[in-house]
Amino acid sequence: MFRFIGRRLLVAIPTLFLVITAAFFMMRAAPGGPFDMDRKLSPEILKNVEAKYGLDKPLAVQYVDYLADVVRGDLGPSLKYRDKSVLQILKENYKPSLIIGLSAITIAALMGVGLGVLAALRQNRSVDYGVMTVAILGVCIPTFVTAPLLVLGIASKLGWLPTAGWNDGALPNLVLPVIVLALPQIAIISRLTRAGMIEVLHSNYIRTARAKGLPESRIVGKHALRAALLPLVSYLGPACAGLITGSLVVERIFNLPGLGKFFVTSALQRDYTVVMGMVIFYAGLILFLNLVADLLYAALDPRVRLA
Amino acid sequence: MSASILVPGSRKGADSMQAAAVKGRSLWDDARRRLLRNKMAVTGMVVLAILVVLAVVGPYLAPYAYDAVNKNDVWMGPGQNGHLLGTDSLGRDQLARLLMGLRVSLAIGLVATVVSLIIGVAWGAVAGFVGGRVDEAMMRFVDVLYSLPFIFFVILLMVTFGSNIILIFVAIGAVEWLTMSRIVRGQTLTLKHKEFVEAARAMGLGRGAIIARHIVPNLLGPVVVYVTLTIPAVILAESFLSFLGLGVQPPMASLGTLIANGAQDMELAPWLLVFPSLVMVVTLMSFNFIGDGLRDAIDPKDR
Amino acid sequence: MLLRTLLILALAAFVCACQGKVSRPACPEGKVCVHLGNVNDPVSLDPHKSTGTWEHRLLLDNLIGLTQDDAEGKPIPGVAERWETSPDGLTWTWYLREAYWSDGVPVTADDFVFSFRRILLPDTASPYASLLYFLKGAQAVSEGKAPKESLGVRALGPRVLEVKLEHPAPYFPELAKHQTMYPVPKHMVEKHGEAWAAPERYVSNGPFRVVSWKLGDHVKLVKNPRFWDAAKVCVDEVYYYPTNDTISAERQVKRGELDLNADIQSNRISFLRQDMPGYVQTHTYLGVAYLAFNNTVPAFRDRRVRQALSMAIDRDFIANKLLRGGQKPAFTFVPPGVAGYSGAKAPEWASWPFEKRQAEARRLLAQAGYGPDKPLKIEIKHRNSADPMLVMPAIQADWKQIGVDARLLQNEGQIAYAAYRARDFQVADAAWVADYNDAMSFLYLMQSATGEQNYGDYKNPRYDELLKQADNEPDAATRARYLAEAERIVLEDAAVAPTYFYVNKNLVSPKISGWKANLVDYHPTRYLCLKGHPKAALAAAG
Repeated sequence: MFRFIGRRLLVAIPTLFLVITAAFFMMRAAPGGPFDMDRKLSPEILKNVEAKYGLDKPLAVQYVDYLADVVRGDLGPSLKYRDKSVLQILKENYKPSLIIGLSAITIAALMGVGLGVLAALRQNRSVDYGVMTVAILGVCIPTFVTAPLLVLGIASKLGWLPTAGWNDGALPNLVLPVIVLALPQIAIISRLTRAGMIEVLHSNYIRTARAKGLPESRIVGKHALRAALLPLVSYLGPACAGLITGSLVVERIFNLPGLGKFFVTSALQRDYTVVMGMVIFYAGLILFLNLVADLLYAALDPRVRLA
Repeated sequence: MSASILVPGSRKGADSMQAAAVKGRSLWDDARRRLLRNKMAVTGMVVLAILVVLAVVGPYLAPYAYDAVNKNDVWMGPGQNGHLLGTDSLGRDQLARLLMGLRVSLAIGLVATVVSLIIGVAWGAVAGFVGGRVDEAMMRFVDVLYSLPFIFFVILLMVTFGSNIILIFVAIGAVEWLTMSRIVRGQTLTLKHKEFVEAARAMGLGRGAIIARHIVPNLLGPVVVYVTLTIPAVILAESFLSFLGLGVQPPMASLGTLIANGAQDMELAPWLLVFPSLVMVVTLMSFNFIGDGLRDAIDPKDR
Repeated sequence: MLLRTLLILALAAFVCACQGKVSRPACPEGKVCVHLGNVNDPVSLDPHKSTGTWEHRLLLDNLIGLTQDDAEGKPIPGVAERWETSPDGLTWTWYLREAYWSDGVPVTADDFVFSFRRILLPDTASPYASLLYFLKGAQAVSEGKAPKESLGVRALGPRVLEVKLEHPAPYFPELAKHQTMYPVPKHMVEKHGEAWAAPERYVSNGPFRVVSWKLGDHVKLVKNPRFWDAAKVCVDEVYYYPTNDTISAERQVKRGELDLNADIQSNRISFLRQDMPGYVQTHTYLGVAYLAFNNTVPAFRDRRVRQALSMAIDRDFIANKLLRGGQKPAFTFVPPGVAGYSGAKAPEWASWPFEKRQAEARRLLAQAGYGPDKPLKIEIKHRNSADPMLVMPAIQADWKQIGVDARLLQNEGQIAYAAYRARDFQVADAAWVADYNDAMSFLYLMQSATGEQNYGDYKNPRYDELLKQADNEPDAATRARYLAEAERIVLEDAAVAPTYFYVNKNLVSPKISGWKANLVDYHPTRYLCLKGHPKAALAAAG
């Protein structure tokens, strides 16, 4: 097991290296630079600014310098937010993203599994069709449509919840963003659970359990659910990728001080260091979650042995 | 990034859909019969066929061009002045734009999926068939790519090269092939030891020929299922890019750009949100129904 | 069972969350707190490093220069009580009032000398330093060719500042309230270097002081009791929010989560006037949107072609039907209402009916050798921000009507401008918001000496000569005449095709008092209060 973790960590290093390299050169290949503005910078001033951030050196030198800095744990200063370092920005803004993301995935897992099991037990009956229709709708309507619709209805018209803002993470401010982010995931997880459950319920060992006269609730709750959850665990990684995609939209519409909001603007503004910092952060996060998913999988499925 | 929006890109999920496709021709007839008995799937196919026809011929039949500015018809509601679905702030006919958007979205879905299909099938089949260290290295590579924050790379690509339509095809397709390659590899592993492959090998056929003639054709079942689920994922991914301002560039329209613009003006001109959203949902749902139906038909265990 | 529990849990969470209260940070008992939507995060709290209007809005609550804005955006005495100008207009003497930094240290002429030198020094790498090039010797200091001591600014006493200029600048009091000319606390900058602007140690000389800044969330300011007019300031705490999504911000204002937002999406204005009566505030702005024709492209060297294209733009449709935010059709380049400038006469065709303009445009094109057999084919490069995305297709359609085949190419704003500067375009969609309220800050754009920023490479010796005469003219009225003549020439030449004048758009809660729509769109919080509050009248009087 420790060997397994060790090996995964060893793979993580070249992965991160690859990510950094690809992102670095893609960012630099983009036309324009961080100091292009709608106003002209006089050439002297542009020279001053570029020299200050080392952008006047050859690209290869900058790349090596950057790698060396990253190894030392220094992600550099932001080129746009001139009083802040990238680490500072990450530190100040990861919390809202993480809180919203984790709440969303927890709620999605609970609701999704609940609905999925329900649908599987009532297979091909109206409950099943109902749940599956909602699930398909949940996947098909983009976040940027559900978000304004919910805001308009629940926050603006009914006045039950705040329309936007963070307000130091007050609970009412979290509800809508979490729901919007969780909806597509609830949909996917309930479909997955249903499929897994149906397959398991038809399997031999469940038939055996039934034949032995075990109570249905015990069969479903203990044996079937455990097996049906397996595909769910391996969905954890992709789910997080989905959440990150969603958070780019949700943080903007709800005006939350999370990381996702910064990524697109930073990329458009050519804030090289901030973009790189975010890519490294998210790549690290995904690597970590994939590891967690594999460990969980092994814990749930006795057939898998980590070597 | 986004295959996972619809289809869990799970390593193990792929296994369940493989088992059936390999048992010979009669099984395909069974599958077809099962598919045609599935009302949802049939409805999906009919609706999709209509949508495709609309997307292909619609823009030619529409009374207005999708990019024609009509200064006197600004913000028309549905049905006014001969604009069946209303107009936008430039007086452009919403019906014409919707048909064009549908065409573009379907094209993006199709082309990006084909790109992912080609890479994914080649990669997976080779890895699965050659096996051993090559397999391990190739699949490790896929694992590595899986752990990249892909939406970021798609955004970076758009920023670097400017958002043109070809790039959207390639960028999304290049992301989607990963799951495809896993499914194909798993399938190939089971096929490899089947009698007909052994026979071909005994007859002295080369590896390349075996992959091309025997393995790939037999991968069809699970791959088709996955394709029907990838297309909607791609369409959705493009709409995300559009919302972020990185998708198809105006005056060209896609369902994504239409919805993103409509969402902005939803109190003023709800028709600009409602119609494209409806078309989007109907399109994605029919793909999903077909995909589900196909999976059930090919792998009857589920039902 | 499981499902039922879940449902109950979710419902409980929902109900306890829905208290129906307006969500904003708690305001201390008896204090006045305002929450302002400011569109973006500041890139820095150091006035020498920031450039945007949103930073200016935030900084002008903290720092006050020699002059400051009144509620209508006009310059009134700031740290300087009064000033004198030499007859040649080249030497200005500023007499400072008794003022203190928020940590109790006096504000002196030395602070200003230090600040003007600091923004120019190459080490500061200020993106906006060129705005100070009218100070004697400024450019040389900024280019590192002269020591900072050579700058023509010196303290004649602790509260007397002498400033020497390169050329007369009647707009100096306008510019003196710009963020580039704010004083920074010398004693803090010398002690902490760049880190002086960190929120936890921020020192200000204005009505408020930054106390915290959470990136992406808000910047918080509290009242500065050491400000000389502190007794008249009504508001105790100010929160600035980066409201990137304008439509979300709109809903926040409606809900009372924000007291105002500094932007509205143009085409929603008429809807909002009905939906939220009394909130929408618009005013002509110091900005113009225009098309630049690239004179290095052969087709555009022909004046008739430029004139035809300019004539054929339906500015009325663009301003009043498409944008609908109160933008004004632009037939001249300098917006109406600019200080001390009555403006140039619009070209004759501006008053013609649109059909007549189209006919004339076709005739001009035909003369230039274009027609149905040989249509003019051009490319319009434009920014992909909201307004150009609406306007450019309309212009494309207008030009199609006179037989011109125009293709649209979109770019992000900064990329587009980089291309314009490199002359990599045929027709460019540009816009200009002036840094200070003066016609020169518009007209210099077409001066040949302006170089890169004269996107179309317009060159007219007569125009250049007139601008130079204006620069060296100490008399304001004569100077204005030179400028008006120059503008007339540029319009007649159709060097650029102005399309519409900007409008500033604010969504302001009717609960707020003391807020006045104005040309420069700066609204110091010191004048704001809540309607009906005992201090409201005092604050508004400033």
